[in-house]
Amino acid sequence: MGQATDTVERTEIGHDEFDPIGTLALIMVYFAILVALWLFMYFVEFLGNDPTVTGAVVPVVGLI
Amino acid sequence: MSESRNAYIDAFPAEAKVVRAAFYSSFLALALGGVFGIIQTLHRTDVFRFIDSTDYYTVLTAHGVFLVISFTIFFLVGIFTWAITTSLDRSVKDIRFTWGWYSLMAIGITLTGVAILAGFTDSIDMSADVLFTFYAPLQGHPLFYIGLVLFIVGTWLAGADWFRTWWAWKQENPDERIPLPTFMVLTTMLMWYIATLGVAASVLLFLLPWSLGLIETVNPLLTRTLFWFFGHPIVYFWLMPAYMMWYIMLPKVSGGKLFSDPLARVVFVLFLILSVPTGIHHQYLDPGIAEGFKFIAMTNTMFLLLPSLLTAFTVVASMEHGARQRGGEGYFGWLKALPWRDPVFTGMALAGLMFAAAGFSGMINAGMNINYLVHNTFWVVGHFHLTVGTAVALTFMAVTYWFLPQVTGKALWNRSVALGQVVLWFLGMTFMSNAMHRGGLLGIPRRTAEPQYDGFEFEASVGSVAELDAQIALGGILLTLSLVLFFANVIGTALNGRSDTLPDNSYAETLSGPEDAPKVLDNLKLWTIIAIILVIFAYTFPLLSIIDRGGLFGPDINPFPVSIETIPMLAMALEGYTTAAVASAGEFAQATLLGVIR
Repeated sequence: MGQATDTVERTEIGHDEFDPIGTLALIMVYFAILVALWLFMYFVEFLGNDPTVTGAVVPVVGLI
Repeated sequence: MSESRNAYIDAFPAEAKVVRAAFYSSFLALALGGVFGIIQTLHRTDVFRFIDSTDYYTVLTAHGVFLVISFTIFFLVGIFTWAITTSLDRSVKDIRFTWGWYSLMAIGITLTGVAILAGFTDSIDMSADVLFTFYAPLQGHPLFYIGLVLFIVGTWLAGADWFRTWWAWKQENPDERIPLPTFMVLTTMLMWYIATLGVAASVLLFLLPWSLGLIETVNPLLTRTLFWFFGHPIVYFWLMPAYMMWYIMLPKVSGGKLFSDPLARVVFVLFLILSVPTGIHHQYLDPGIAEGFKFIAMTNTMFLLLPSLLTAFTVVASMEHGARQRGGEGYFGWLKALPWRDPVFTGMALAGLMFAAAGFSGMINAGMNINYLVHNTFWVVGHFHLTVGTAVALTFMAVTYWFLPQVTGKALWNRSVALGQVVLWFLGMTFMSNAMHRGGLLGIPRRTAEPQYDGFEFEASVGSVAELDAQIALGGILLTLSLVLFFANVIGTALNGRSDTLPDNSYAETLSGPEDAPKVLDNLKLWTIIAIILVIFAYTFPLLSIIDRGGLFGPDINPFPVSIETIPMLAMALEGYTTAAVASAGEFAQATLLGVIR
């Protein structure tokens, strides 16, 4: 059938022998990225811009 | 027919024809949508403009509707039909009925497509430049709405077909658990039935009669809210088939087994009950919906992260199982043991990786306060090109390389081209989507033909707008090339001769099977009732309050047939309103000031 997967030798790993430690490692990396982005968001949202909602009100009040 | 071959077309020749027809319809939509995609990419970034900017919105509508309605849904009805027949190991009840719903969908989307494409020519008095969301007061030709209705009724009948087949199977196998692929199809369709009630109400009660001139006005906020009642869950209608592929195909092509059947069932049940009561999170900036209702929608949305994170775990663990069986070792070393030369695997794995990134931008969209920063900006466009544009579309294209031989009985034309295609899509989308997200943070608006303004420039703290535009155009070109390779493979395969050496029609086995899943998970009635109750909680009061304020048919709002002549008229009207408003505000301020002084 021409699948590349065919050429690799396989060892059967059952339910009890399988410990998905690599999955844990990958998910920890993902969460580390999420936390880093979450911290970064503070700089984008609050330091890069004026406050979003109140910023719109002040000039109107100023006009009146 | 070869005796040794056991492909889908050998076991279910009649169904294979329907699945093939659905796939080809889907690919036709993909081709059209792709052409409009590159036109708008080059237009907006001002790299190459050859259409009039007023036609941009026709292009945008066609790109949206062809890709997210016809490409995705035609493809998923194909794989759902495959999933039902394969996992129940029985034919559909009546193949004429199956062709019936397919034809209804095809007729419906053709009518809608004609209404949209007629917008390019002035010789026919027809247009539907209403964008995918068809918000009132934008008004499309009645044919647009009629086509949509037929298409959706077609999907309802498709669901009935699958339920009917399952019921027949259940009569003969009363004590067996629902096979996982069938379970996924049924839960997805139950979600879809609830979700489409919103768009059915919006179109049949309001937009279609309004477009036909039977009623004078509509309540725009009401029709918007009904649209999003359907508009958010539709993203799960695209996503759940992709998830299904990650659960039942990806473990197999990785060389392993699905880590947990019960977890997969939990995920689909969670999607059934949580998908619909979240639509209002698209309306965080809509005036007229109280903050409290928006807060409820936000809470439900955040709960939806749960099934996606469960999926991340289960799918990655299943891939790891495959990699370990193939001799992979270490914390990260196992990743090298995965079959990266297989386009089916690589396409799905890259799609999943992009979905992880989309998870982050999705959380930003879902948060009520942070949403204000990105609402209606290019960020949102970047987000959904990662979700539907990559997680779903790339998964569908990758599994096509497995399904196409199964339903045609012909070998795939070229595996290396296929591998190049999926990698190119990933690269193109990395450039395009990343630049769209960054553009959104600068405040660049979405849905704008010419986001370049005299005397104003968007300020980029890193890079420049020209650099972002270049990335978007480059990404768009790579994506177009990727599509060309995809169609070369589809056409090449169709022209191939019969092959005797196709893989067997099968899906992944499980490490922990349905016998480990609590029986209650298969209780579809219970989950449907809970889903409906949650919808009632989330929507009754917002809808009542919208109707109470604006009336069922709205305040007196003039329809806005989308043509360029109406714009000066609208501008004059707006000017008039603004002048009047400023004058009255001035008088009010004066009176107040005088009052205070006195």
